[in-house]
Amino acid sequence: MNDTINPTNRLPLTNEDTVGPYYPISYDHDDGMDLTKSTIGQQFGAKGDKIILRGRYLDKDGNGAHGALIEFWQANAQGVFRTEDTEASPEIDPHFDGYTRHRTVTGGFQLKTIKSGTQLGRAPNITLTLFSDGISRLVTQVFFENEVSNETDPVLLSLPQDKREKLIARLVGEDDDNVPIYDIEIILAGKGETPFFDDFLALGWRD
Amino acid sequence: MEKLGRILRIGPTDNTSNERTPRENLRIIPPAARDSFLPYSRVQPGIRMGENDLTRLAPQMPRAEGDAIEMSGQILDDIGQPLRHALVEIWNANKYGKYAHDLDGYDAPLDPNFSGLGRTLTDEEGRYKFWTIDPGCYLARPDINRWRPKHIHLSIRGGASRLITQMYFKDAEHNDTDPMRIVMAEDFHLNIGKKYETPDIDVERGFKFDIVIRGKNSTFFE
Ligand SMILES: [Fe+3]
Repeated sequence: MNDTINPTNRLPLTNEDTVGPYYPISYDHDDGMDLTKSTIGQQFGAKGDKIILRGRYLDKDGNGAHGALIEFWQANAQGVFRTEDTEASPEIDPHFDGYTRHRTVTGGFQLKTIKSGTQLGRAPNITLTLFSDGISRLVTQVFFENEVSNETDPVLLSLPQDKREKLIARLVGEDDDNVPIYDIEIILAGKGETPFFDDFLALGWRD
Repeated sequence: MEKLGRILRIGPTDNTSNERTPRENLRIIPPAARDSFLPYSRVQPGIRMGENDLTRLAPQMPRAEGDAIEMSGQILDDIGQPLRHALVEIWNANKYGKYAHDLDGYDAPLDPNFSGLGRTLTDEEGRYKFWTIDPGCYLARPDINRWRPKHIHLSIRGGASRLITQMYFKDAEHNDTDPMRIVMAEDFHLNIGKKYETPDIDVERGFKFDIVIRGKNSTFFE
């Protein structure tokens, strides 16, 4: 291999590739779109304020990104992510995972969850990763309208003002149980494009 | 001047890539927010027996059409540690290049004995093994006669590691005109399965596909 592009002794990473148009629908049956209940049929549920996030992924021509796989990832009501390292922390909510995924039919999704807490100066947010035909992976974070902490969130502050607006979901109403509903439109390409982030955690970073 | 991330490449002759690839540079994640971009999945679905054998719908069922092949390998992170107990899902077209997926409109026969779906968990050493049918290639752009070379799709997730990729075959027909292969450029060899003999096993041949994936110990290069 070429030592100049891999200056460490790390192994060269397998390339990411498109998920293609035929990701098996049957594989995400277990991945619920309601993170507020860890076990169906029990009264236990996640701590925190329930919200519904409705989103649409739109392509360059304004069509929904059908057949794409979306991952959702967020902190719990205390602002703590549930990982291997935090599993034993008293701030972990045993009834909240913070991770799920969903395959779009026409480009839209609806996730019922709780609003994450604010820790380390972060505003409540959800990380969205999109795997789709034609592209390998796209990552961004979605925030919520009327949160004071948006003003100081480092991700939002890293963007020009017009791009910040693109990541803020708008409060549009509530459902029958008075759960607030937020809407976000994510424009993949072209006019009004949503900002996406270079996490380069799963990609080899070379320059 | 503001530092920006990569510009993503559009796969040539790939309509979906043109429609869905952002045109602007990716944005650099501020250091204070980096950890929040790393999903961690505790999902560990129950795996049924035989789910890593795609050549039959169930152990007593007839074998699907085409050459049965083995696909196996080891999944490591970039410092060489095995990814244990990770979920590996694969899906591939049948002998004729047709997926059983209900959105596949390609004009080729379905094989009633082939669903094209398999999954397994990696063992203590990060190893996995599947039996499947050697997939056919398929015509992805009839208007310009552009084919997809034969390939097997994979999704891997476990802990903080996840990857969606495809295994290709050495010197296979249509490799050179494939949009994602062109985007991968000189790194394409990392996505090719290495052929091996399987003399005493009930499959025609094997392909070793070792995978290196970023894990929780990754550091950032800048
Ligand atoms: Fe395919």
